[in-house]
Amino acid sequence: MKKISTVFILFILSFQAIQAQGKFFTKTGKINFNATAPSSPEKIEGVNKAVTCVIDIKTGNMQFAVLMKGFEFERALMEEHFNENYVESSKFPKTEFKGSVSNNATVNYTKDGVYPVKVKGKLTMHGETKEVETDGKISIKGGKINATASFSVAFADYKITIPTLVSDKIAKKANIEVDCSLEPLK
Amino acid sequence: MTRKTIKYSFGAVVLIIAVSAFFAYKEYNRKQKDVAELSAAYTLSSDEILKAFSTDEKAANLKYLDKVISIKGILKSNNKDDEGTYTVVLGDSSSMSSVRCTMDSIHNGEAALLKTGESISVKGVCTGFNADEMLGSDVILNRCSIKNN
Repeated sequence: MKKISTVFILFILSFQAIQAQGKFFTKTGKINFNATAPSSPEKIEGVNKAVTCVIDIKTGNMQFAVLMKGFEFERALMEEHFNENYVESSKFPKTEFKGSVSNNATVNYTKDGVYPVKVKGKLTMHGETKEVETDGKISIKGGKINATASFSVAFADYKITIPTLVSDKIAKKANIEVDCSLEPLK
Repeated sequence: MTRKTIKYSFGAVVLIIAVSAFFAYKEYNRKQKDVAELSAAYTLSSDEILKAFSTDEKAANLKYLDKVISIKGILKSNNKDDEGTYTVVLGDSSSMSSVRCTMDSIHNGEAALLKTGESISVKGVCTGFNADEMLGSDVILNRCSIKNN
């Protein structure tokens, strides 16, 4: 009887270990934001280096969280306009994405390689939630995951209005580039 | 109107335009200030700010968001990314939650010399709180510099 319970406990423990192994995360992911209009003489771009991301490799579920005030722009004025006039980061400090890799089964997380993925989910920004879908890449190298994706978001979808005065500089859509190096969650 | 007054008023208009153009240009090209040279609006420990955010995030956001703050704490870990940017993590090593400070590129080198377990002060701009049950809840600072205790 004692033996059985030991085996049972071991089984439970190993199961838990496997479960914890199934998740990868980072708190230093990067997101590049580019809203430069084609005719604009200057670049409208910012970068955030403190993106949180978790991927559950079993289910393919993934989550991102970004603090809007963490975007850095080359010009101070641009950063202030971004925060105060457009994304209103004091009112809506966080942007979140909750979704999943639709073709998770095709990714072999135990084998080094580059796997094209499709990601689908809900993006909440500026108090609005919208469905987004994008192509991305998952690269596996030495037990670590690198996840990249590039997609665009239309400001109008998130009730962000760009004044006509600057519409020749700021595009109607922002191109978002995500780059996260994930480590196993222990 | 004499010729002289016309000449002077014309000169004054040109001067006003030139001065405002100069200031507009300067404002447009304004760079971010080096946070290391700004004085901190608040000075507190990593535990204190984590507690402030976890008990009342809204109030803490109003108080600390966008402010220059100086945080004193124990260096839990020091992470360098692919591009060489350091993220200095302060807090109790037994807890998942911490104060995460992304270094300013011009002060990046200061982080390279730090040792885990050391007591340090970091000055930066508070960008907010990222609450997560699984990964721990963090207060995040950017444009940081190190102040040795």
